[in-house]
Amino acid sequence: MGELPTIVIVATGGFLVGLVFGATAQRTNFCTMGAISDLVLMGDARRFRAWTLAIAVATIATQALHFSGAIDINKSIYLTPNLGWLGAIVGGAMFGFGMTLAGGCGSKTLVRLGAGNLKSLVVAIVLGIVAYMTLRGLLALLRTQIEGTANVDLKAYGLDNQNIGEIAGALFGVSSDAARAVAAIVAAAAFLIYCFKDADFRRSAANVIGGLVIGLMVPAGWIVTGILGADEFDPVPLASITFVAPVADSLQYLMTFTGSTINFGIAVVGGVIVGSFLMAVTTGTFRIESFVDSGDMLRHLSGAALMGAGGVLALGCTIGQGITGMSTLALGSVLAWLSIVGGGYLGMKYLEEGSFSGAVRAVFARG
Amino acid sequence: MTSQVLDAKGLNCPLPILKAKKALKDLPIGATLEVLATDPGSVADFEAFCRATSNELIESTQEGNVYRFVIKHVR
Repeated sequence: MGELPTIVIVATGGFLVGLVFGATAQRTNFCTMGAISDLVLMGDARRFRAWTLAIAVATIATQALHFSGAIDINKSIYLTPNLGWLGAIVGGAMFGFGMTLAGGCGSKTLVRLGAGNLKSLVVAIVLGIVAYMTLRGLLALLRTQIEGTANVDLKAYGLDNQNIGEIAGALFGVSSDAARAVAAIVAAAAFLIYCFKDADFRRSAANVIGGLVIGLMVPAGWIVTGILGADEFDPVPLASITFVAPVADSLQYLMTFTGSTINFGIAVVGGVIVGSFLMAVTTGTFRIESFVDSGDMLRHLSGAALMGAGGVLALGCTIGQGITGMSTLALGSVLAWLSIVGGGYLGMKYLEEGSFSGAVRAVFARG
Repeated sequence: MTSQVLDAKGLNCPLPILKAKKALKDLPIGATLEVLATDPGSVADFEAFCRATSNELIESTQEGNVYRFVIKHVR
């Protein structure tokens, strides 16, 4: 292991993480969009609880790794003192809305793609292109405008990161370490209680296993990048599972391979597709699917674009912010996650009512 | 007994459930709805839907790539 270049170790680790993620999601039907859809259409919260179980598991493991000194979670992109609250809210809502149109979020798109769905191949490509446009291209102009005008620099308030415990500690005059520990315990406990108080969820093995395994892929990512990737001369950036920028990076990697270097995110993307493919073939669920009509295609294309742009604005997706970001207890991640869920809810109403104005009316009609 | 048929082939979730829910609302109690779908996730979806809405899933079969669900409108 000492002779292998760090990047090879990190890429292999990332691929394995993706493999487990993809196979598990395919087999257990873990689906963040499905979680919202089940809730809205049938009042069934089991898949939503699978998502929150993943958050709880990821939070406990991430915080444990941080407090044990194995990794410094403040080095992740989620905890910087640069609070992109507007991007989190607008981008999150865009992403949540988009995923209902596109048949699933970024990770689900890769899982579907691995299982033979050509619609999801198109979604992945459009998502990647639009995300890259938002990172570095035409849409980056809009993004930097939004970030430039709205971003809040928490350093001006004496904070050096956006951990919700840290912020609460500063407000109440409690030490940063104590406040962060309390926040971690309270958050994890709240999510665990929410998950396991429901007998239907407890009895649903697929959802419990799915949530558990997916949640464990977050600390797996921190370990691969933060420990295995901690090269003395060229450490890789601390990162874990997320599926917007890495999809964009994967497209670019495929296109510029001869002059490009792989990274953790790209390896995960590859692993998810392969893992899902292997599981689908093994369970006999692999099938080629394509667009039904132009409406179907338009929905998928717009959903993909919304996810690509929204996911970059929000610094992540249902997994990147919704699980990985949340596990760091970053304020921006909480805002992004809530906005994604809200956007998803609006998207479901849009599909039900057939129009955007109908969707807005439906949201307010309930209360 | 003739069922109303809902062709949801090629559509991915959440559309098959969404359309089935709408179609069932217009059906009289006791009538059945036959749904054809190709989304592999629809098997779990329709089981969950019938469980949650207390409608009866009379049939859940597969012929080649097409899943066939027959739902009885109970309430």
